[in-house]
Amino acid sequence: MTCGLGRGLAAAAFGALLATPAAAQLPGDSNTANGLFRMFVDSKHVLVRSLVEDFSVPLRGDADLSLHWNHERVTIPAIAAPAGSQEAIDAITTASRPIEGDAYQDFEKTRNELQGEVKRGGASVGYYHSIESDYLAHQVSASYDRGFRDEQTNVSVGTSWGWDDIKPLADQRSVTRADHKNTLHLNAVATQILTPTSVVRLGVEYNHVTGLQHNPYRLVYAGGASVPERHPETRDRRDAFLRFHQYLDNRSSLKLDYRLYDDDWGILSHEVTGALSQYVVDGFYARYQYRWYTQSAADFWRPEYATTQGVNGYLTGDYRLSRLSSHLFGVSLNADLGALAPDSPKLRRFAVSLDYERYFNSNNYSADILETGLQFRF
Amino acid sequence: MRRALLLLAALALAAPALTGCAAPAVAVYQREHLVDPIMAFQATAKQDARRVRAFEAREGSTGGVGGEGGGCACK
Repeated sequence: MTCGLGRGLAAAAFGALLATPAAAQLPGDSNTANGLFRMFVDSKHVLVRSLVEDFSVPLRGDADLSLHWNHERVTIPAIAAPAGSQEAIDAITTASRPIEGDAYQDFEKTRNELQGEVKRGGASVGYYHSIESDYLAHQVSASYDRGFRDEQTNVSVGTSWGWDDIKPLADQRSVTRADHKNTLHLNAVATQILTPTSVVRLGVEYNHVTGLQHNPYRLVYAGGASVPERHPETRDRRDAFLRFHQYLDNRSSLKLDYRLYDDDWGILSHEVTGALSQYVVDGFYARYQYRWYTQSAADFWRPEYATTQGVNGYLTGDYRLSRLSSHLFGVSLNADLGALAPDSPKLRRFAVSLDYERYFNSNNYSADILETGLQFRF
Repeated sequence: MRRALLLLAALALAAPALTGCAAPAVAVYQREHLVDPIMAFQATAKQDARRVRAFEAREGSTGGVGGEGGGCACK
């Protein structure tokens, strides 16, 4: 029944998406097209290349349509240890990719993601679709926000329902079977102007997840044997966040964020982020960012399991459920050619950005993330 | 689940009172800095959403953006 409801809402969202764009727009209207290339490479040599396109156009009746497409290619490297060695056996056993045929070749997969949203007034509805060889995800969403006291305060509520079909590829280590995962999301966010140079946002979020939540390919050493990973089939996840933005006198800004998270698997986490943005000249600014994160372990996470029953029947080889902390440093350059070259009829329509982030955590894991973006206004 | 729903609803209703009543009025013409790209929440909303997705794949928690919306309180 829930699936039928979800599909009905998806159909409604698609119907809204098919609404005709406004026929004539004056120059300078808010039509935008954004292209972005993102490259992620980590210390395990996993490579993710993303090509993202975003479009935004006004519709009739004061509505706006935004479309998002993401084409992603993921490369998980081949097992590097010599064939037949204990290191190779361990790597194959604990791999989070399917092992079928030659484990000594790279595993590649492609993901395509499409998202559409229609906004009118304070209301919006959206639909999200993601497809890859072993995972199909759908989500419908809706939100409503309203301003109070001459828009000095804004309150928003949102919800989404996601239903995912998981069809693991053939795997020579164990028998995998098709499964599903459903996610109900709720959020409430309040934004408040404090002074002409400061604003604060407070939000709470809740996610209720049911279905398959472990990696269907991963095996765990337990009681002297290799057994499939097994996580609980329900998870309640809650978080609250506070974001404070302050404009500073020298054409710069300071952003401070804090997030508190907990769930019924026993994970409690804290996240603190600080970002400093500074204009160099009109239309060109740099942003420096630092993020610190820490979390406790899930109740059933253990470095080793004495029996194949694990803890209360659950076993995990997922380091994300262990105790960990992480740091991220980032720098970003953003140039709006509309301000840098206002007399050029072509250039003034563009904005460009370049972002680099360095991430590392206490699990001896690190990653480099590079983003280049181009925006065109028409 | 019911308790979480009640908590969300109560917070949504109470938020304006919790955050708004204590702040002095800021006129619309005084809000130019708040819509500057280096200040506005909306300017980094998509990037924030991408970042949350990336962290979800490396860490055990989620959230922090409240969807991509949330209103800007500065229209």
